[in-house]
Amino acid sequence: MSAAAPRAGGVAAWWEAVRRDRKASLGAGLLAFFLLLGLVGPWLAGPADALVGVPLQPPSAAHWLGTTGQGQDVLAQAVAGTRVSLLIGFGVGAAVVLVGALMGVTAGYFGGRVDGLLSLVFNVFLVLPGLPLAIVIAAYLPAGPATVALVLVITGWAWNARVLRAQTLMLRQRDFIAAAVVSGESHLRIITRELLPNMTSLLVAQLIGSTVHAIGAQVGLEFLGLGDVSAVTWGTNLYWATNDSALLTGAWWTFVPTGLCVALVGFALAMLNSAFDELGNPRLRLERAWRTWLLGHRHPPARSTPVVVTRD
Amino acid sequence: MRYLLGRLGFYLLAGWAALTLNFFLPRLMPGDPATALFARFRGRLGPEAVQALREAFGLTDAPLWSQYLTSLGHVARGDLGISVAYFPAPVSQVIGNGLPWTLFLAGTAVVVSFTLGTLLGVAAAWWRGGWVDTLLPPILAFLGAFPYFWLAMVMLYVLGFQWGLFPLGHAYGDDLTPGWSLAFLADVWRHAALPMGSIVLATVGGWMLGMRNTMISVLGSDYVALARAKGLAPSRVVLRYAARNALLPSVTGFGMAIGFVLGGSLLTEIVFSYPGQGYLLVQAVRNQDYPLMQGIFLVITLAVLAANWLVDLVHVWLDPRTREVAP
Amino acid sequence: MLAGLVASAACVRERPPAPPGVLTVSQEQEASWVRNFNPLSSAAVPRWPTWSGIYEPLYVFSAVRGELIPWLATATEWRDGHRRLRISTRAGVRWSDGQPFGARDVAFTFELLRRFPALDRRGVWGYLTGVELVDAGTVDLTFARVFLPGLEDVVAQLIVPEHAWRGVADPVGFANETPVATGPFTEVRVFRHQVFELGRNPHYWQPGLPKVEALRFPAYPSNERANLALVFGEADWAANFVPAIDRVFVARSPKHHAYWFPLTGSTIFLYANTGRPPFDDPRVRKALSLAIDRDLLVEVALYRYSRPADATGLSDAYAGWRDPVAAGADWTRHDVARASALLDEAGHRRGPDGLRRLPDGRPWRYEIMAVSGWSDWVRAAQVIARGLRELGVDATVRTYDYGAWAQRAGEGRFDLSLGWSFEGPTPYTFYRWLMSRATVKPEGTASLSNWHRYASPEADRLLEAFEREPDPAGQRRLATALQRVFAAEAPAIPLYPNPSWAEYNTSRFQGFPTAARPYADPSPNKFDRGETLLVLTALEPRPR
Repeated sequence: MSAAAPRAGGVAAWWEAVRRDRKASLGAGLLAFFLLLGLVGPWLAGPADALVGVPLQPPSAAHWLGTTGQGQDVLAQAVAGTRVSLLIGFGVGAAVVLVGALMGVTAGYFGGRVDGLLSLVFNVFLVLPGLPLAIVIAAYLPAGPATVALVLVITGWAWNARVLRAQTLMLRQRDFIAAAVVSGESHLRIITRELLPNMTSLLVAQLIGSTVHAIGAQVGLEFLGLGDVSAVTWGTNLYWATNDSALLTGAWWTFVPTGLCVALVGFALAMLNSAFDELGNPRLRLERAWRTWLLGHRHPPARSTPVVVTRD
Repeated sequence: MRYLLGRLGFYLLAGWAALTLNFFLPRLMPGDPATALFARFRGRLGPEAVQALREAFGLTDAPLWSQYLTSLGHVARGDLGISVAYFPAPVSQVIGNGLPWTLFLAGTAVVVSFTLGTLLGVAAAWWRGGWVDTLLPPILAFLGAFPYFWLAMVMLYVLGFQWGLFPLGHAYGDDLTPGWSLAFLADVWRHAALPMGSIVLATVGGWMLGMRNTMISVLGSDYVALARAKGLAPSRVVLRYAARNALLPSVTGFGMAIGFVLGGSLLTEIVFSYPGQGYLLVQAVRNQDYPLMQGIFLVITLAVLAANWLVDLVHVWLDPRTREVAP
Repeated sequence: MLAGLVASAACVRERPPAPPGVLTVSQEQEASWVRNFNPLSSAAVPRWPTWSGIYEPLYVFSAVRGELIPWLATATEWRDGHRRLRISTRAGVRWSDGQPFGARDVAFTFELLRRFPALDRRGVWGYLTGVELVDAGTVDLTFARVFLPGLEDVVAQLIVPEHAWRGVADPVGFANETPVATGPFTEVRVFRHQVFELGRNPHYWQPGLPKVEALRFPAYPSNERANLALVFGEADWAANFVPAIDRVFVARSPKHHAYWFPLTGSTIFLYANTGRPPFDDPRVRKALSLAIDRDLLVEVALYRYSRPADATGLSDAYAGWRDPVAAGADWTRHDVARASALLDEAGHRRGPDGLRRLPDGRPWRYEIMAVSGWSDWVRAAQVIARGLRELGVDATVRTYDYGAWAQRAGEGRFDLSLGWSFEGPTPYTFYRWLMSRATVKPEGTASLSNWHRYASPEADRLLEAFEREPDPAGQRRLATALQRVFAAEAPAIPLYPNPSWAEYNTSRFQGFPTAARPYADPSPNKFDRGETLLVLTALEPRPR
């Protein structure tokens, strides 16, 4: 009950922020576009892996973005890739946050030996280089989206766990948690009702960050040919583009659209994240105070940085 | 000192974990290097030859724990086994060829990106609302959203292929003999410019944004306010007080980023046919060359661990508090 | 600083060419070079041209010319009723360290193969029983039975020097970093991880050859990168797959950029597993074949670099053997109506969903297996799938990593798969691996070829006769009969003969084989029986 109010307030505040903030509305708009594209696009753009014409045709009226080296429609491929890649991206993002939260909050809340052990595990995972580890694990598993997702969860959760542990440790000191503990509430209830709701903004930020990372890493792994290359995803699109000598044949249309899709989704999420960041940390928005302070030093004779003057 | 020793212990533990992972992973999964090898020869090999090869590769049926101990012993002696694909070359020799280049590329790229990003972050915090602060972050965030290797492809295509401004690959010109001559070093830089540039472009935004945000937080803190109130010059406040403290989270992140950039640079190397570990790793995977694959993973991990320890040293230097606190 | 960078980089456009006389070749695709020049070990892939440039065989076989050319040997003679092969070695040949070459080296090499089976790449000791040194210029090989096709494999053997290899304890794991050999290029001048160079053999036995001073090999990790090198004039000779080659490569410098893709590679087949119904029925295999639009296939999959295969399956490497009657069999044309009729006639009826049914009621739902990343195959498989769907077969393309694919193909765990053929100097090897009982392994057991598990008693009889037939006219008769068996039974479905990839830049070197001057196969890939030696010894710097 105590948590319901702040949470609702949080959502409303975010929505308000998204609506008002230019960055956030741009991000949200882009993201909504791609979600919609992933949802209904494949029906509109037609089958992605069908052979529709001569390979490597430049964009034309029949094929707006040209054809691939396999004679498939690039637009249909980019659209079909959107669905799979976003699904994996958000799926992995959510799974990573979930695992991270489970480990991090457990470690932070219970402390002691549990904390020592769990911290050790995720600190070790944190220093193991992620992509090489992902490549090595993926090499042993049958190629496919499931493998890619699994590998990314294995290599991605540790950072979230570490951040959430720190946050939990901090919250653990707060009065309302102490009160809940004293009043005999169960651990599970405290964690789910008191701790997690107070970390919502952090969790959302992590979800966004993890999703961005998951999409990027997925594209990277598939670009290397470690995914199922007969599936249509953004990563396999790029894999095929290089495999069919996109650079050499000057077939920019085979890799530019997909790259742009990846970047736009990543950009949209980054914009949202930065907007939420500023919401959670209002100081980042305290421009005026600083501006006036710095500008205030413009005229006094004691100023030591002429650069400020000439540039500002 | 205790702090640093503790960290060292931790990295040793992490190294052992990587080793163990390395050992058990392939053995838990299906696949057989001899079969892969057999296949690679497209049938030029008879069954007797395959049997002879199995023996040559030491594919024994010893119990797992004894294989594990043997493998630990070998690694301790720097023996990473024999590469299947490059038989009879030892893995250490195959890796040794490219490792310095990977470390050079990733290391320099991460340092350049970190320095540039941090400076830009300070600049953005300094000139709040200026063009550095308003224009650059979204542009860099947008660039950072592209996959490394995609930026690399576009840069190679436009700058290298279309305009011919940069070499199309390799770490130095084929006509030069490696050495410490000026011509050679200049050539190395020219060859590294594009791969490094693509990594820097993709990562600099993160450093900048991180530094900017911490800077602004720090600038709002009490001790900075105090310094301000005491009438210190803004440059002194920003650089001596705020920046030094704001650097701490960035330095912590630096350790993390090394692993990340090393991973990303593997992809970049492939695009630029840079003679590092990137393509080697992918080839090892495709050939099911377990020894080589494991060797590369292990070596990269050890490099990352070593770099992290160096970062710890810097951290201690920056933050005197860690000198007293035990881990 | 940026300006300086750009200025310094601007001169890269015209990269300094390799020194005059240094021929840059792109054949292998590697991230970095590992030093290995062991010509015998089947465990290792030595650097090109170890097999055909550093070391030399007794005879070179040219598929383009269709003949055996005496090389380190000058003559062979069958004795004892074709149970003993006498080989005369060439006089006056020296190893690159100046020591004389002789029959001792040949005898030593075959002995080495016997002692270390992993060196016996072609399995010659499967039919040899002994090797005897007759005199300094003569060596005898004894055969367990009359097996005439063995001659072609025996004389393709690369010879190593006894004096340098006698002391090698483990020739299988021997990297042979500094080769002593008889070939035109033997001196390792430079060896770095991204480039190596081979200089001329100072004692080469062909006077005045080679005219090329040295070979240079930059490491190009991918086909894409190798193609860039070719297009920018960095590589003089390459064996790359170049898409849309006329536009991408030739048009950049029509005077000097050229290619010739003779269709002498192995034939690419659609293999139907004849051990599994309904593919045990030749009518079904012919129907599948009729459903494939091969014209579209070669356009989409291969940029028209090849042509549709005929019903003999033979590539142009066997041009002289082709039987017009067998080649005229109509089941390699595109005729869906006839294909449907053939299946109807064979009793494979369509179900209500339009898919054909097995006797037990299961629909015909099959995967066409291809190798991941081999885009020509994947495209070909897609065209095939499209054709088969018209026939009432629910065909989908499934790609596997090379290793996984090879394992499945070898063990016969597939319904439909793309695959290549096995080649030899005569159609004997080709058809043996397509139709001989001797090459059929049960499903689940790895096999070198005959992945489709097909045996024909008639073909076996012909193949056995071929093994004992010394007369060329008789061989031709048997080969014709083999082709007719193949055309009648359709054991596998031929798609197209693979081109032999060869691109070259004649601005610095001349003498490459062309369609007008076909003295050898132009591809650096033709190292297996020494054919690139013909090219390496014919190239010369273009006079300035």
